[in-house]
Amino acid sequence: MKLLTANRLTDGLVIWYASDAEWPAGWVEDAAQATRLEDAEAEALLAQWQPRETEVVGAYLVPLIDDNTPVQREYVREHVRANGPSIGPTVLDTAKTHNRSEVF
Amino acid sequence: MSQPNSTYEPKLITPAGDILSNDWQVLGDEDPIGADGACVLGFQRALNELPSLNGRYGVRINAGEDVRELTPCLDKIALIEVNFPVYRDGRGYSTARILRQDLGFTGPIRAVGDVLRDQAHYMFRCGFSELLLKDADPEGVIAWIKSLYQYAYQGAADAQKPVWALRHANSQTGAQADA
Amino acid sequence: MYVYDHYDHALVKQRNAEFSDQVRRRLAGEITEDQFKPLRLMNGVYLQLHAYMLRIAVPYGVLSSRQVRKFAHIARTYDRGFGHFTTRQNLQFNWIKLAEVPTILRELAEVEMHTIQTSGNCIRNTTTDQFAGAAKDEVDDPRPWAELIRQWSTFHPEYSFLPRKFKIAITGAEADRAAVRVHDIGLHLTERGFDVYAGGGLGRTPSVAPLIKTDLPHDKILSYLEACLRVYNRYGRRDNSFKARIKILVAALGAEEYARQVEAEWQTLDQAAIDAPFAEIARIKSFFPEPAYKTDAFDDAAEARARTADAGFARWLRNNTHPHRNDSHISVTVSLKPIGGVPGDASDAQLEVLADVADAYGYSELRVTHEQNIVLPHVHRNDLYALYQRLDAAGMGAANISQITDMITCPGLDYCSLANARSIPLAQDISRRFEDAQLSDKIGELKIKISGCINACGHHHVGHIGILGVDKQGVEFYQILLGGRADEHAALGAITGKGLSAEAVPAAIERVVNLYLDLRTDPSERFIDTLERVGRDAFKEALHEPA
Repeated sequence: MKLLTANRLTDGLVIWYASDAEWPAGWVEDAAQATRLEDAEAEALLAQWQPRETEVVGAYLVPLIDDNTPVQREYVREHVRANGPSIGPTVLDTAKTHNRSEVF
Repeated sequence: MSQPNSTYEPKLITPAGDILSNDWQVLGDEDPIGADGACVLGFQRALNELPSLNGRYGVRINAGEDVRELTPCLDKIALIEVNFPVYRDGRGYSTARILRQDLGFTGPIRAVGDVLRDQAHYMFRCGFSELLLKDADPEGVIAWIKSLYQYAYQGAADAQKPVWALRHANSQTGAQADA
Repeated sequence: MYVYDHYDHALVKQRNAEFSDQVRRRLAGEITEDQFKPLRLMNGVYLQLHAYMLRIAVPYGVLSSRQVRKFAHIARTYDRGFGHFTTRQNLQFNWIKLAEVPTILRELAEVEMHTIQTSGNCIRNTTTDQFAGAAKDEVDDPRPWAELIRQWSTFHPEYSFLPRKFKIAITGAEADRAAVRVHDIGLHLTERGFDVYAGGGLGRTPSVAPLIKTDLPHDKILSYLEACLRVYNRYGRRDNSFKARIKILVAALGAEEYARQVEAEWQTLDQAAIDAPFAEIARIKSFFPEPAYKTDAFDDAAEARARTADAGFARWLRNNTHPHRNDSHISVTVSLKPIGGVPGDASDAQLEVLADVADAYGYSELRVTHEQNIVLPHVHRNDLYALYQRLDAAGMGAANISQITDMITCPGLDYCSLANARSIPLAQDISRRFEDAQLSDKIGELKIKISGCINACGHHHVGHIGILGVDKQGVEFYQILLGGRADEHAALGAITGKGLSAEAVPAAIERVVNLYLDLRTDPSERFIDTLERVGRDAFKEALHEPA
């Protein structure tokens, strides 16, 4: 199980693949809404999106160990990407924006 | 979505914006040197063979090769190509500047390889007189450069005076008292 | 401070037009990300974990109050209300949109600021002593030379695609407050000329720079730097980005051979075409006069009363001030390390306060230190209490300069895509552990420096205690180093053993501190002095003692 993620070119925000709706609709800013992908489909989508440089930058796959948990070796990084910095004045921003507590 | 500019066929262009035809043939190390046409020799081959050749040739210098080794045979060189294996490899800038300012080479110095518009201005400043430029609109690149870059902070191999020279144009130039 | 003439303005405008066009082309797909990346880095635009980070150049750390107000405005308008001061005296914003960068650059240009060459494989910001032009022990003011070097290095056509980044630092006193010995080129300005150090650096293979030239005549600095850069540009490694800094080249050639090659190259240069004339040096120097010092006599009785009435002020006076060449003035370091806070950050409100107090008490001038604090270099001693009260009210009154809670901390994995571990939460924990003012005063000077990865932006190699975040299969661990120094006796810290978990680090540091307090001959023997006298082994043991 994997997630496809990247940064949006125009503003650099973290985004997650959700569906094949036409850009920008198919990508979301809330990791909780990201589509959990089977490995083969994930690889195919990554290959499709990496060249789309005017939309996304630095696309890659996040391996999960279950629906909601990135693998250990990526855990802190993906937790920070999905929830914002763990400290400082913006620490509640992401949760507030998406009206949820932390993901991952 | 636009196609990246660098995917277009390269054209040979000068700082004045003239497109040149490239009549030079780059020879492989085993290719015979024919009597017809201008040919560009590889660096090592040039070092080895130029002393015994008559006439004037082109030489291609790759990044990492020391242009000063060509000093004894500069009089037989009509063109120097400086190859940029990737645009981020900045050694060619030093090569061109050494050629112009230290070795006094007055012939054409041509940038070849991964030559893109965003490096063109610096290449001209370092003494390149021709760029084999990969771009959709090479003439547009030259027009842009001409309109944009009015001043420079430092001297290089081009004619541009550094800003400090403009600032003190009326005072004694070159006077360097102890600071 | 330096004021732009129309040439300087034109050159910034030129670069803004160039980069705005590059951004437009990137958004339109006319240039690939791979082709764009070095260009945006050369304009200070990083892609971090959450958004683009914009790094604004603060040339040799000098700021005017007007510029600081512009920072506050940018923080409010284009970012999330705060900025972060770095170990190279620059300022970073963390939530910038690429599409808005051209507009931000225009705003910065209005106050003579820019983001030029704050990243990329080019010559970066030349940094210097935060007390330049003010310190009592200063031999000569390095700022005019830093400005001269800034101009020469800006848009240099030959050195914009170096093997790796290139950092220059300069000091004008015997005491080195600019860490020049751990820079690619370090310059020590004396009356006789420049002593030039080359090949220092931190990161994967840290090294203290060897001396390669003594007494270089002042007016030859630019041509000599050209020679240094050209040798590096031609022969620095390009096959492996971890081996591409000049320190690798200097170590491989040996300092003598590198110096010989530089000398040979220097002789081939048309030095007169490179070295700015005396008139230009004099022109730049004219921007750095002494301030029009207030001539009121120092009212020491009033200060004594304030000290007695306000213990917090007394402590701040002791810990946060630095001797000034003018006897009625003093330099003040404003701590951006509040207990439990994010080290080096300032909110837009705090930036406004800094600008206001600089205007009211500081001749409108501020400095950024490489230890992520702010300095008001010139303050009349009669103004200190009023200044302290305003800073304290704004959360910038921590009286902890050079103490254990005054840590250098990189942004770490909370922001930076290069990081292996978070650094800020650890700094906050350590800060809270040692928050007691009496304890902190008792410990005295102790510099902790924390990096979230081997790139060492937190300068952990030169901390008295250095902390390096590492990744053990996704779990954050921290290696502790002991005995580093960034001053004129520069030394690299030694790794002390296995990494510790985040939970274990504060207690480990406490054990080290307690051992120091036991072993020191008297309170005037600083931590680093005791460590050097006694040796690291006893302290290593204390660090790794089982709980």
